[in-house]
Order: sequence, then C-alpha cells, then structure tokens
Amino acid sequence: MKEKLQDIQKTALEAIKKATTVAALNEVRVAYLGKKGSLTTILRSMGQVSPEERPVIGKLVNAVRNDLETSIASKQEQLQQAELLHRLETEKIDVTLPGRSKKLGQLHPLTQTLNKIKDIFRNMGYSIAEGPQVETDYFNFEALNLPKDHPARDMQDSFYITSDILLRTQTSPVQARTMQAHNANEPIRIIAPGRVYRRDDYDATHSPMFTQVEGLCIDKNINFADLKGTLLFAMQELFGKNVKLRFRPSFFPFTEPSAEVDISCVMCHGKGCRVCKNTGWLEILGAGIVHPNVLRMSGYDPEKVSGFAFGMGVERIAMLTYGVSDLRLFFDNDVRFLQQFHL
Amino acid sequence: MKVSLKWLKDYIDIAITPQELADKLTLAGVPVENIVETGEEIKKVITGRIEKIEPNPNSEHLLVCTMFIGTEDRVVIQTGADNVRVGQVVPVAMVGAHLPGGRKISKGKLRGIVSCGMLCSAPELALPTENMTAEELDGIYILPSDTPIGVDIKTVLGLDDVIFEFELTSNRGDCFSVLGLVREIAAIVGGKIKYPNINFTEKAEKIQDFCQVQNDVPELCSRFALRMMTDVQVNTSPAWIQDRLQSAGIVPVNNIVDITNFVMLEMGQPLHAYDYDKLTAGDLLVRMAKEGEELVTLDDKKRVLSANDIVISSEGQAVGLAGIMGGKNSEISATTKRIVLEAGSFVGANIRRSAAHRLGMGTEASGRFEKGIDIVNIPQALERAVQLIEETKSGVPLQGMLDIYPQEKKLEQLTCQVAEINRVLGTDISGLKMQRILLGLGFNVRLAEETLHIVVPSWRNDVHHLEDIVEEVARIYGFDNIASTMPYGITLQGTQPEWQTFADKVKQIMCAAGLSETISFSFTNADTFDKLNIPEDDKLRQAIPIMNPLTDEYPLVRTNMLGSILENVQRNFARKNEDIQLFEVGTVFLPESLPVTKQPLEKREVVAAIAGKREALNWTSEKANVDFYDMKGLAETLLEELGITRYNVNSGRHWAMHPGKTATFTKGKEVICTIGEIHPATMQAYGLNKPVYLFTADLDILQKYAAKKLKAEELPKYPGIQRDLALLLDVDCLAGDVMREISKQGGKYLAQVHLFDIYSGKQIAAGKKSMAFNLLFQALDKTLTDTEIEKQMQKIVSSLESKFQAELR
Repeated sequence: MKEKLQDIQKTALEAIKKATTVAALNEVRVAYLGKKGSLTTILRSMGQVSPEERPVIGKLVNAVRNDLETSIASKQEQLQQAELLHRLETEKIDVTLPGRSKKLGQLHPLTQTLNKIKDIFRNMGYSIAEGPQVETDYFNFEALNLPKDHPARDMQDSFYITSDILLRTQTSPVQARTMQAHNANEPIRIIAPGRVYRRDDYDATHSPMFTQVEGLCIDKNINFADLKGTLLFAMQELFGKNVKLRFRPSFFPFTEPSAEVDISCVMCHGKGCRVCKNTGWLEILGAGIVHPNVLRMSGYDPEKVSGFAFGMGVERIAMLTYGVSDLRLFFDNDVRFLQQFHL
Repeated sequence: MKVSLKWLKDYIDIAITPQELADKLTLAGVPVENIVETGEEIKKVITGRIEKIEPNPNSEHLLVCTMFIGTEDRVVIQTGADNVRVGQVVPVAMVGAHLPGGRKISKGKLRGIVSCGMLCSAPELALPTENMTAEELDGIYILPSDTPIGVDIKTVLGLDDVIFEFELTSNRGDCFSVLGLVREIAAIVGGKIKYPNINFTEKAEKIQDFCQVQNDVPELCSRFALRMMTDVQVNTSPAWIQDRLQSAGIVPVNNIVDITNFVMLEMGQPLHAYDYDKLTAGDLLVRMAKEGEELVTLDDKKRVLSANDIVISSEGQAVGLAGIMGGKNSEISATTKRIVLEAGSFVGANIRRSAAHRLGMGTEASGRFEKGIDIVNIPQALERAVQLIEETKSGVPLQGMLDIYPQEKKLEQLTCQVAEINRVLGTDISGLKMQRILLGLGFNVRLAEETLHIVVPSWRNDVHHLEDIVEEVARIYGFDNIASTMPYGITLQGTQPEWQTFADKVKQIMCAAGLSETISFSFTNADTFDKLNIPEDDKLRQAIPIMNPLTDEYPLVRTNMLGSILENVQRNFARKNEDIQLFEVGTVFLPESLPVTKQPLEKREVVAAIAGKREALNWTSEKANVDFYDMKGLAETLLEELGITRYNVNSGRHWAMHPGKTATFTKGKEVICTIGEIHPATMQAYGLNKPVYLFTADLDILQKYAAKKLKAEELPKYPGIQRDLALLLDVDCLAGDVMREISKQGGKYLAQVHLFDIYSGKQIAAGKKSMAFNLLFQALDKTLTDTEIEKQMQKIVSSLESKFQAELR
C-alpha cells in the first residue's frame, strides 16, 4: 500500500511537471484527485486496510494529497502566468490607427473674444447691460450729446430706417438707457456688448455690421486716472501683462476729456511691424470722462457724480488675438475657419 | 488737412524732426495721420543748361544734347522730346538717378551714340500737371532761365518739403488753418509765432460808393464783410503761392482765386471773390433762396435750391451759394477788372444741411463753416487777401470795408477751481501750471485763490464749460503724465441678463453636439423670402427697409434666421465644404406694421443646419450622410439638456421644409421648435446639391419651458427588469403613437422605453412592419416580481392589439 502510494505520488508529480497548459494540468488533477482519481480510489479502499495500519496509511494519503494539491496549485499559477504572458505577447493592435472621435463644435471667435471681455469686466463688478439694435435717434445720438446737425454725426454714417429710427451705430445708447433705468446718481458699472451698424464699405478692416463693447462706470469721484487704471488692467488681462497703454487726446461728443487708446503692438511688442504700421502702437479703444450733458440728460447730477465711458471693437480685438488679417472672415462662416477656434 | 513743413516754418521755428513734431502733436490732440516727404523718390536729378543740340544721324527723332551741369565736364544726353532749345534750363537725371515709381537711370547707347542720363518731363518727376497743356506734358519740363545750374531739382522745385496729413477732430475748427496749427505747435512744442505783417495802401475811392450790402438772415449769417479792388489783372499767381496751394492739395487757378484760397488755408477764413462788373448791381444781399431757385455754381453744375439754402444775390439774381460755392455768373476771368472780396460767417448746421446733406457738395469752405470759424478775424482775413493782391501787383484796394456784424461776439468767460480740474483728472497739477498751459493756448487767464478766471480766445468755438478747460489742461499736461488708478467706491456685483446666460447655455449644448457657431449680418433681401418659400401674405415678408442701404444685396433687416444660415451653407458648399454642422443664435426684427413708426420687436432665435456625412471619414465609421433623424436627435438632445420634457412631436408644416419630412415639437399649442429636411424648391433656389436638415426655435420660448432648477434623482437600490416586445404593425402606424401608448399603459414602474429595431421585408407580410421595443421596469422601494411585470405587459399588449391591431411576434 505504501509503495503504491509512493508510486502514485511519483507518477503524479511527474505528470504535473509535464503539464504545459492549464487544461492539461486540470486533467492531471482529475486523474489523481478527482472523484475517480487514483488517490481518491485508494482512500475509498481504506476499509481493507488493517486497523493498526489505518492511521499510518491515512496520514500518508493525506500527505500525498497535500503534496499534489500544492504542486498543482503552484504549477497552475506558473502556467497561468505563462499563458497571460503569452497572451500579452501575441495580442497586439495597430495603435497608430486613427481613433473614433466625437467631434465637438466651436464657439465663433467673436463669441469667444466677447466672453473673455465679459469675464474680465464681470470680475471687476461690471454687469452686462443691453439695448435694442434698432434704436431711436434720441438714444443713439441726442442723449449722447450729439444733437441733430452736429458735425460729429459724420463720424458715423448710419443706416436709417426713418428719420428718427436707425440701426444703432454704437452700443453707447445703452449708457443713457441704463442711467434712465436707475435712480438718479446711483452708482453704475456696466458693459454693453452687441452688434452695431455703420454704413462702411465691406473690406478687410470695415464691415457694415460689427460688434462693440461699451463700458460705463459712474460713482462719486470717478476720474481720468481711474479710467486709465481700469483699461490698463482690462487690456493686460486680454493681451498679457506686458502690454502698455497710450492715451491720445481725441474728440467724442459724449465724453470730455476724450482719448483714443492704443496698446503696445501685440505682434512686435512695440518694435514696429506691418500690423502696427511701424508705429509700435495699435488703436484699440475710445474712452473718456462722461460729458456732464450726457449725465444731465439722463437725470444724473454732474455736481454729485462723475464717470468714465469706453468703447471697443470686438472684431479688432479678435483679429489681434488670433492673428486674423481680414475682418470679413468672421462673417464668412467658412467651416474651415470656424473649426480652428477650439473651445 | 494737409500742411507743409515749409509753410509752418514761415510762422514758427521748428527745431525737432518731422516725426518728433508729429508725435508731440498727436499726443496733444492734434493728430498727424501721415508724414509724406515730397520728392522722396527722386535722387540725383539736377538742373542743367542745354549748350548744344545736334540730331542723331542714325535716328529721325533723337536729339543729342550737350549739357552744362555746373562742372567743367559736359554731359551728353539724348532726348526724343522736340521742345528743347539751346539755352534752356531743364531737369537732368544723371546716371544712377532715381525717379518716382522706382525708375532708375543708367548709362545707355541709343542708335550708336552714348547717352549719360535723361532729360525729364513733368510727369516723369511726378510734378503737379493740372494746368499743363498736352505739349507741355509730353515735352521736357522747362525751368525759368535764371534757375541756378547744377542744383538738386528738389531744392529748385520745392520737392524737399515734408507734408503733414492731419486727421483733425471735428470740434477743432480752429486747427483747420496753417496759423491755427502754428498756434498749437507754439503751445505744445514752444516757440514764438511770427504773424504775417498786414499793410497796404488804399485808393481814395471808397467801397461805399460802389457797393451796398444787406443781410436779411442775421440768424444764419452772423457777419458779412466786403472789400473791393480795382485795376485787377488776372494772371497766374506767383510760384510760391502755387507751391503752397499744391502742398495743401489745392489746384491753382489764377492769382485772385489762389490768394483767396491761400488766405483760407493760412487763416481758416473762407473768402470769395466776385467779378464786380458781372454783378447785376453793386449791392449784395444775403437771403434765403427761393424754393426751386436755380444757380449754376463754379463747378458748372446747375443747382436747384431750396428755401433752406442761403444765397448771396445781386438785384434778385443769386450769385453765390453762401458759405459753399460761388456762382458761375460772377466768376473771376481773364477779363476781370474789378473784384469784390467777401468774408462771412454762416451757421454751421445750416451749411451742413445744404452742402453735405441736400446738395452733396462739401467744399473746403463749407467744411470750415460747419466746424466754425473765427468771426473776430474776418476783417484781418480780408485785409490779408487785399495785401497779397496788392503785393503781387494784381489789384489796387478801394478805401474801407463794408461790414455787417449786428451782434459782436462776446468772448466767453469762465471761472474754474483748480481743485475741480484736478478732481476730474485724478491729478495734482498746480494752479500756476494750469495757468501757463492755458496762456500758451491763447487763453487769457488770471489765477487768484486757486481759481482760474479765464477768457476764451475768439477762435475757440469749442470751449464753453469746465470740462472743456479740463480737456485743454489734460492734453497739454499729457495724458501719459496722469497716473493709472482703480476706481474707489462701493462694490457692485457683475450680473448679466438671464437670457444671455440661457443663450450661452444653448450655444454650449450646440457645440457639445458638434455644431459650430456662425455669426451673420442682420440684413436680408426680398429674394431670400422667395428662395425660402415664405408665402406671399406671411408677416415675415414685412421686413424693415433701410432708407440708405449700402448695396442692393442687403436693403432689408432680417425677419428670420434661416436665410442667414442657408447663405452660410451655400457659401460652404460652393467651397466644397459639404459636411457641415452649423448653428447661430441671433436677433430678428419684426415691425408691428410698415412703414415703420416705432421700434420693431427684436426676437432672438436659434437655427441650425446640418448636411453631408454624419461622421468625418474614418476607417471605423459608417459612411452614411446625415438625415432627418440626426436633426431630430439634435433637437431632442437640446431639449433634454435644457430640461424641457413632456412635449409632443407631430408632423408639421414649415415653408422652407419638405412637407413630408417636417416635425414640430409642441407644448400645448405652442411650438417649441421645428425641424425638417429643406424644401426641394428652397434647396434648388440655393443651388445645393444635397439635402440640408434645418432646425429653428424661438429662444424666448425655449427659455420659458426650460427647467429653472435641476433636482437630483435618487439612484434605484433594487434591480430593474427588462422586457423586449416585438410587434407586427401596419406600415403606416406611427412609432410615436405606439410609444406613447406603451408609456400610458406601462404603469408607474415603467421607467424607459427604447425602440431598438424596425424591420419590414422578408418574413414580414406586405403592408406590415415589425417594431421591437425594450422596456425597463424599475421600482425605487422594492424588487419587482415577474408576476407584477407580466400583468403590466399584458395590459400593454392588449391595448396595442386593440388600438393598433398589433400582433405579438
């Protein structure tokens, strides 16, 4: 009996050693440890063993079984490891094949630029205000200190609908509308973005429709230095911390003093290039201290409060930001252009 | 306004470079747009005298000229021009010379004889040629015989000048003259102004004996002054006057006209000269024109006047359009012997209405009146013209001046606190410094107890209030010298209108769904309405016409956005961008009625268009084109993301869409959005070669139904049970109806219904189709039993059997 067991143990270990696959190993286990396996058969025949021998043989059978089980388990792990390695070595795909992508759409570059401007000013406590695009002469001109026959009306050739209604030439009418919607002398900080219309020929830098952002800040003791500081901060947020500002005296009927504001050229950093026509500066904003007449006409008292206003063209800013040289591309809506402006 | 450096230097010394001057002026509110060096392109062209002319024996046209150029060596140059004579002084382009247009001169051989340069014509030097005859243009430019020889032609012809092109603002009428600019230079750069010294000798005869003057419209003509000259000889004016005019871009005419123009440019006061002997009578009247009155102006155009135009008339006959242009009937001509010189002041707004708006004839004069002139300076301007005419021996002045000046201008007086000016600017400028700045600009200023007592000079029509003084101080002090600070005040919250937040959300969803945003013009045309198939009587055809459209392409303001997006589609298709997914959020303009009497309703819409391949070409993708259901899926996604639920979808009607392939999404009776395939007629009208699927919605309606709040739902703790349901149905049976019925009969545990297969063909009887649904039952509080589900399934099936004659497969 003992020899027989030792024999089984020997051949079984041999078979385990020889097994090269998990399946083959499984067969070995069934052959020796399965219900009809040789070791199991011996266990069943324990009844024939004399009672004195029984504990000894029993112990031996268990030892052999434990040995085989351990060997099978370790062999199994070994084989599984090998099989996994084999699988990993053989399973291969062409990772250079293009992926299945879900294409996203893009926001228009003007929208993206405008969103950036809105964020900058909202962070400074400015609210977004709005007004109609088809505007009355009163709000578009008169309430902005531009009476009829004022020569400055020539600065903005307008699309008229009637002698008294026109497509707004600027978003500045929102200034007057906002003031008139507030209680007199209440502080105001708004920007008014929107489409505006001028009777300009359509070319690389002009368009009959474009986008403007008008800003207005009214409070006690608002001064020109505050205007400079606010615009400097906004332009540096837009174009980078190294941007410098230059204020040139100018004339707008709704502000005085008025300034045209240049930024140092974002292309050449002031060295002079084609974009800035070798001046090192790019005109980007119009601004000034709100004219007392404008305050008065909308019920504010220039003795008590003062303010500044500014206006900028979103197309111009987008052109500089993205290096677009022809404004018409914005309204051309060619998908090959639009898809360049990733979200 | 163009002014030459030389002209400026007649009145003030300028030590800095033209660029430095331009920069300083620009930063002080006198913007220089451009600096042009005249003769910049001309190099190595000198004066030479023709010593000998011989024919080239090998040519019938060429002449061989031996030129004296101020040195011992003579230069031989051939020319084809036949106006050359021995002894003439002409411009000689030497070997190596540069001429305008980039032309370079090199040594050459013409018909066997060497030619060392070129004799130049006026066009070859880009000289002004307005008054030249054809022969003069063709021939070599002949210089006066006393011209020094061997000298740079630029010095001789005054081409060594610098022209400043000013882009002046309309409030600074006082700067539209050389002396006005000189005043600014003196204040900004420094320097003493050398005003012209005016003196002349009058005849004993008095103007009153020849002329009378009357002003019927003192409210529109605040001053009207005349001087008269006799013994006039009309001729070309001296070269220096012509040069000055040409440098300012004004074409010389004759000495009298040139001098009036010269004085206008120099002093800013428009002048006009009448031929006294052509006036019907010696008296001049300022009056309103009669409605329909006619006048031929100096530009030979017949003007039909209105009762709002001002004329100067003589014996009832208009002889000039006041402040704008003189009449042909009293024009200065070669035979003119006696002249009347006029200087007036006309109200800018009126001139502007007549000149710029009604007659479309803005002139140098009208532009100056529009911006305002110096009324006090009128006699000086007349005297300056008289002086120049006398000086150039072109006429003799009569004694005196006729001057109607009913209300003498009172110089404006202002009192400003130094502190107030500093408060507006955020500066700390001393009163003394402010006083100095204003004195430099010609203001009279007294400083007492930190208060400026200011008298505004007569030429500054733009200064009336404190803010005007603030601006003067600031621009001369320098905007750059003002600090940059942040406003100090109460904190305000930055908010934005709800619809903008909503529009941003719609845009985000569209982008996430793969569509790119477009922005189009708000303009349209009637053609578009036809292309879109909009019915004749539809209100959308009532688009607002623009009174003065830019082109025929866009005479109207848009009433819908499909036209805009289809134009974008069309443009992309034309460029072979045929796989497109576009959307736009924009405004349409709906007038209450036409013609417009009040502002229209401005409605915000969102439209989308998709066409072409569903996915970009890839090895893995299906190559199919988008269809109706892609657009429907887009609409469903948008509504789901906006939290709009429980809407109905039915087949619908839209003028631009295929009647069989249009669906409306509705809530009650309100349409939330419409989708469909483009109408074949519209597709053809836009020249599209494949169908486009369209989406249109009113943004405000979407916003009305959009979920205001998002509430999280608990996740189910118990497993759901799925059941498939395959049905045989009539081919006309609508999926939506079946699904609605399933939902209705499914009971409270039916959580989802998915239609996952539709089939007709083999194994399916004709006129039938198979639809397969997957149903998910889910309870939040328990595990559902098969019995419960079976009961519900039977209810669904029996209802479908009775309502749709459905058969279970």
